[in-house]
Amino acid sequence: MMGMQAANLQNLPENYVMKFWIYHAMTWPQISYVAEDHKGRIVGYVLAKIEERNENENEPQPVHGHVNSISVLRSYRRLGLAKKLMILSQQAMKEIYKAEYVSLHVRKSNKAAIGLYRDTLGFEVAKVEKKYYGDGEDALSMRLELKDI
Amino acid sequence: MSKALPVPAKRHLPSKEATLFKELLTLYETRQLKKGLKTADQILKKFPEHGETICMKGLLLTHMGRREEGIDFVKKGVKLDLTSHIVWHVFGLIQKGEKNYEEALKSYTQALRFDKENLNILRDAAQLQTQLRLFDALVETRHTLLKIRPSLRQHWIALAVAYHLNGNLSEARKTLEHYERTLKNVADYDIEHSETLLYHVRILEEMEDYSEALSLLDVNSKSRAIVDRTAIMECRARLLSKLKSDEAEHAWRALIEHNPDCYDYYRGYFSNQGLSLENSSQEALDILRQFSSQLSKATAPRRLALTIATGDEFRDLAKSYLLSGLTKGIPSLFVDVKSLYTNASKRDVIEELAEAARVEFTPSSDTPPSSAEDTDPTIYLWTLYFLAQHHSYLGRPKKALETITIALEHTPTLPEVHTCKARILKRAGDLLGAAKSVNDARLLDGQDRFLNTKCAKYLLRAGCVEEASNMLGLFTKKDAVSPGADLEDMQSLLYLMEEADAHYRNGKPNLALKKYHAVQKVFNEIEDDQYDFHGYNLRKFTLNIYMKLVKWEDQLRSHPAHVKAALSASRIYIKIHDDPSIATAITSSPQLTGAEKKAKKKAKKAAQKVQEEPKKGPTPSANEDKGLEPVQPKDDDPEGLKLIGVSDPLEQAFKLLQPLTTLVTDNIDVWTVVYDVAIRRKKYLQALQALNHARALNVEHPEVHVRSMHFRQTIDTLPEEPPAPIGPLLKEVAQKVVPEGLSILTFNGQYLQRHISEPLAVLAAAKVAHGLKEPVQEVEQVVFGVLGEGTQLDIPTALKVLEFLTEIKSGRVEEFRSVCNKQFEISTVFKPLTELEALQKRTLSGEEEEKEEDISPA
Repeated sequence: MMGMQAANLQNLPENYVMKFWIYHAMTWPQISYVAEDHKGRIVGYVLAKIEERNENENEPQPVHGHVNSISVLRSYRRLGLAKKLMILSQQAMKEIYKAEYVSLHVRKSNKAAIGLYRDTLGFEVAKVEKKYYGDGEDALSMRLELKDI
Repeated sequence: MSKALPVPAKRHLPSKEATLFKELLTLYETRQLKKGLKTADQILKKFPEHGETICMKGLLLTHMGRREEGIDFVKKGVKLDLTSHIVWHVFGLIQKGEKNYEEALKSYTQALRFDKENLNILRDAAQLQTQLRLFDALVETRHTLLKIRPSLRQHWIALAVAYHLNGNLSEARKTLEHYERTLKNVADYDIEHSETLLYHVRILEEMEDYSEALSLLDVNSKSRAIVDRTAIMECRARLLSKLKSDEAEHAWRALIEHNPDCYDYYRGYFSNQGLSLENSSQEALDILRQFSSQLSKATAPRRLALTIATGDEFRDLAKSYLLSGLTKGIPSLFVDVKSLYTNASKRDVIEELAEAARVEFTPSSDTPPSSAEDTDPTIYLWTLYFLAQHHSYLGRPKKALETITIALEHTPTLPEVHTCKARILKRAGDLLGAAKSVNDARLLDGQDRFLNTKCAKYLLRAGCVEEASNMLGLFTKKDAVSPGADLEDMQSLLYLMEEADAHYRNGKPNLALKKYHAVQKVFNEIEDDQYDFHGYNLRKFTLNIYMKLVKWEDQLRSHPAHVKAALSASRIYIKIHDDPSIATAITSSPQLTGAEKKAKKKAKKAAQKVQEEPKKGPTPSANEDKGLEPVQPKDDDPEGLKLIGVSDPLEQAFKLLQPLTTLVTDNIDVWTVVYDVAIRRKKYLQALQALNHARALNVEHPEVHVRSMHFRQTIDTLPEEPPAPIGPLLKEVAQKVVPEGLSILTFNGQYLQRHISEPLAVLAAAKVAHGLKEPVQEVEQVVFGVLGEGTQLDIPTALKVLEFLTEIKSGRVEEFRSVCNKQFEISTVFKPLTELEALQKRTLSGEEEEKEEDISPA
């Protein structure tokens, strides 16, 4: 968890205190994954959660997974780590929590990430969320149906 | 639920007020604070000495932010009714909010004396006991809870966990078995039940009851009661291996097929086959080849093969691995293979292969651009990039720079090439040049925080604290007091440690101490974070991960950043103890940098704003629940003046070092610093123990040698021998350290001869000589031995030597400095200070111009 937090702070402007990382690990320990170098240092991670079925809403949402944060250190790109982390996480979401789909947010301008999600992993754009990020940038809300994987 | 004790007169309320009191409790539970306060006052009008009501009033006031007032009331209420469980419960809540867990537990224990079966109090007590690692008491509390309400599943689980934490696996197991028998109508798919079973299996595994564990696992995987397939597979493989079953191989293989990139699975597989992954073995190699072809997308088997293979096989495998990486343009290729370099022949083979690749892919001027060799230019670039790192790692900075320069001419737009150059320069001692190169990389991709962070780090290494802060500010929260404040809030250890180290090198130990203490604070926060999870995980039934959390927290302070911060801070404390003028010089004339002044101003403004707000009128929402945690006090020592001016620096150091002595016992630096502090505090036994630990790890280590000689010298010159048993014990060890008949000086000379070609050992001998009051010229003579033929002097060591010569006020400081300056051609760290400052100005103003063109992210 220390390594995940450190990698997150190095790479992304959206950061979290340690308790947030612990909370995810304690609640859904099976669906977050890390990539390590040969010395055991964290070079990549995916932090995921499960959104429970919400009976109270008008349109009850089925159980689904959500990727809160994913990042690979720049010096460890081109190894397919992000793809591998995502796939392992998705498999666990489906198998253990019977998640029907997985969702995530990505910056509209982040071509590389959108390419990974859409072209490599098969995500589709569900909608645009205006000014989602702290700096005002729009987000694409993307979704992958897990029945097919 | 109070039992038969008669209610004391002072607590008794007639029916009207009794009803009001019940209302009061409900109003508190629903946080209707204003109404609650009114109700309390109603009761108090008639019964002004009703302790329980006074306590509740205090509790409400605290929630409303009127903390001092509130706590006064609570204390008053306790005094007025010492045998009420309510007053002690309230007091405990207040103390818990202050994170004073020991006192809180005392209050809760008192409360339980007067209401033994109060579920709320018992649960809170259990959490406190877990936090404080009082597992005997925890087991009792969990037992009580179970007895009161055996129908609640959690109570069973909690008891099992308590037994487990207390080291009583067999009772934990019995509890779980009993619990599972009570279960009726478990749904087909129940994650909580699944996790509970996995926990049960884990307990059996820890008890080494492997076949029981396996059958429990298998039965429940078949019935699909356990839903976590990965956990099942991992557990199975482990158990089958421990049982030396034939099925184990298949189990590990299944895991590898499930996740071909998990090195642990390969380790498990090979360990099961009785094969090592370190030594060469044809059998192991064949297996890896097989995995490689079966799992074509996985790097792990191919990389592992490189470690095992030798000779021509190694050459073939290395060639294809290297070419594959260079073709794909993998930035981490060098970092990946460099661990093979401990084997000199493998290192040479890789160099050969890389050089051959370079020759092959060098674009010739007469190749038409649209030919099949179009892809080569990129491979060419990555080959140069690889070779530059290779040469830098092997201590050939000039060659490395030449190589990377060609790469830069070829492709100046790839950030990695610039960061590579930066690393080369950093290692070669040109920190400013390194910072500039990283900045060049950063400018190529302003949106990338990784490059921004790297750039800031290199600026800090070069001592440019203010510039680094501005750099980081491009990505920190805009409404934070300063970039550093935001990074501290977000617990960035990288930032805190790098800035602390920079301040230390810049001769600002007060600011360094401030940041080292900030690191401590982060670890205190993380230690405290676990508190809520002692109850949370039980409610969620995520038990295996919870046990991991507890163990992790127990080890938390062995984290490298914590160790480094504690040691560095302690070294500062030792310095100011040895020379108090350092501290007084700072406290009497604090000097702020521009950024620090800016941040101070901003903080002052923010503080003023906070003070002005209440003057706007009565707070609009008096019902707002501020919780029970005290508000963070303002930082009253932003420049660390109080820290540096402290009257008991050695005691402060001792506090910081405490956890390290139990958690990090294999670290020589820890023991040498513990020794340094203890001997100065005249705690001879402590110093002795630390010395013994250090000597046991490596008696010839330079730092250990210095302390050994210091110890002998100290004991020899004690004004009087300490009383038995300490005195004789000290004498005994002193004789061991330097045998009878030999003078310390002679022994030191022998040490020097043994290690004449090791610069750090030579320095150590010089330090000892100096400590023995040898003439400065003799000491200098020893020191200059590090420049001799055959010694491998590196920059960090040379800097340590320089520091020592400066400390002893040697007349040959400049001489040493200029020799090093010549020897380490690329470095700038040996330049005289004035030249360095001018260089810094030039470099940074160059960066400023570039920055103005840079479009920073919104």
